[in-house]
Amino acid sequence: MLVADVMTRQVVAIGPDTPIRDVQALMEQRNIRHFPILEGRAAPGQPDALVGIVSDRDVRLVGADHPKAPAGVRSSDPISRLMVTDVVTAHPGDPIEETAKAMRTRKIGAMPVMDEGSLVGIVTAADLLDALVKMSGVEQASARLEVEVANRPGALAELLGLIADRRVNVVSVMTTRGDAETVSFVLRVSTVDAHGLARHLRRAGVTVAWPPEKQAVP
Amino acid sequence: MTGAPVRFVFDPELAAFQLTPEHPFKPVRYELVRTLLLAAGVLTADEVVAPTPVGDDDLLTIHDADYVEMVRAASDPARRPPDVELQRYGLATSDNPVFPRMHELVRGVVAATVTAVELVATGRALRASSFAGGLHHAMRDKASGFCVYNDLAVAMRRAVDVHGMRVAYVDVDAHHGDGVQWLFYDDPNVLTISLHESGRYLFPGTGFTYETGNGRGRGTAVNMPLEPFTDDDSFVDAYEAVVPAAVERFAPDLIVLQAGADMHHRDPLANLNLSLAGMTHAFTRTVELADRHAGGRLVVTGGGGYDPYRTVPRAWSLAWSALSGRELPSDLPASWRAGWTQRLGVELPATFDDPAPPPVPRRAAIASRNRSVADRLMAQLADIWGVTLQP
Repeated sequence: MLVADVMTRQVVAIGPDTPIRDVQALMEQRNIRHFPILEGRAAPGQPDALVGIVSDRDVRLVGADHPKAPAGVRSSDPISRLMVTDVVTAHPGDPIEETAKAMRTRKIGAMPVMDEGSLVGIVTAADLLDALVKMSGVEQASARLEVEVANRPGALAELLGLIADRRVNVVSVMTTRGDAETVSFVLRVSTVDAHGLARHLRRAGVTVAWPPEKQAVP
Repeated sequence: MTGAPVRFVFDPELAAFQLTPEHPFKPVRYELVRTLLLAAGVLTADEVVAPTPVGDDDLLTIHDADYVEMVRAASDPARRPPDVELQRYGLATSDNPVFPRMHELVRGVVAATVTAVELVATGRALRASSFAGGLHHAMRDKASGFCVYNDLAVAMRRAVDVHGMRVAYVDVDAHHGDGVQWLFYDDPNVLTISLHESGRYLFPGTGFTYETGNGRGRGTAVNMPLEPFTDDDSFVDAYEAVVPAAVERFAPDLIVLQAGADMHHRDPLANLNLSLAGMTHAFTRTVELADRHAGGRLVVTGGGGYDPYRTVPRAWSLAWSALSGRELPSDLPASWRAGWTQRLGVELPATFDDPAPPPVPRRAAIASRNRSVADRLMAQLADIWGVTLQP
């Protein structure tokens, strides 16, 4: 999954001269937490340049009685006094795990998405959580299956083949743990009878951690 | 026969088909229940009524036309579409294999539940059952989890649109009642309540506390996910924490109870640890809630239940006993057992008494977790409803 699949395309951007109090009002009205800041370029036909970013936390601290409140900044000042100018950006083609890692290491909550110098979107930590939900498959009717297979080429393919034998569709596959000997997977499978599927897999020698073993009914 | 006027909607054809020989969903359950109730003397022959047929137009109040057409085509061997096409609609899978006359037979299940709701909505019966019904996973445009058409949704749609009723739906199947929930997610006239094994582990993977309805239907979806291995006491605790308050506040004209029997510890598809006692609590209390808040009007359907011979007939007999107010004998009639043992080749239980399974080691932790989920759910609902709930 790529940044382009999860980002918000309708970005509300502001100019560096916007008064802080207007940004505060916009945040409340539109329920937005991050604003990229754009400045027009001199040459005609050129896209606006990304010059900074500001978050709700920076804005809320203005005028607050708080140790981290910016000294001497008033709400009538332009947002350029507050903005972070060293902006970490993403590209629409970046894989989302890379973006998530960048957000965690830089301790930021959002990244403007730039394509050939133009702002084309914004991606936030909430977008990545939504993507995680989607990737884990819980949006489609399915049951959880947790298995351990040998850490060797073809082991997962064999497992999926055993599942296909039962005409059960696989909604998602996630790796949860691995070492030199074995790899664990959590799969979402579109069947009510996950116990029946588990029996089929156990008979074929697969280690199934969930669902637990249960007797078939005569 | 004493008690309220009650009806048992049944057609031999509902019990006569089989999806595939090894499929866990066994329609013979309905015939087992009917014959057990008759033998036990809590049902009379004149209370058994045949369903009034419904047409495809009734299905279209809930389902998309192209989906219904796909089911019709799949049911006719002469024009069966290729599997890849069927599988886009959830058909021709291990859960929903295609079988001859599928369209007519499942439309017959819809007719049975619609008939039960019609009997109650028009006052011809106070309460009615449709044990072949309860196909709660079927979606607008897709078969899912053994369910092709959503009989519950078609019947409830009719209660709302034709009879102007507010309907409270209570689902105690081990699996989340996702189809019904999503079909009425925006509807302020239908309250859906589902208690089920948590979707983190069990199909269909939904039914979390934060699913509370949408738009005008906000606050009319209620979900109580239970930990695997939940036992009778913790289930009763969760039911009491959630269902009475939600039903009372909604003030329905009719309650529909989906009485899936797969919360039982012997069920081979789910992982809960209930006995018949815990399940019976839900049946009798839901009848009481109907008496208190819905003029007594109640329709009970079946649903899941994959221990079809030992558990399901007893569970649904207990549901019928609650619905009709008639007490069952302590032993199952010997004639019934002998006849079915011979026919099925399976030893059947002698009594309705059902000892609880041994407690699991994590029992206390499971109960405490369920309690905290119920508390969080009710706090969240009180917030949406704008009320203060009594603890």
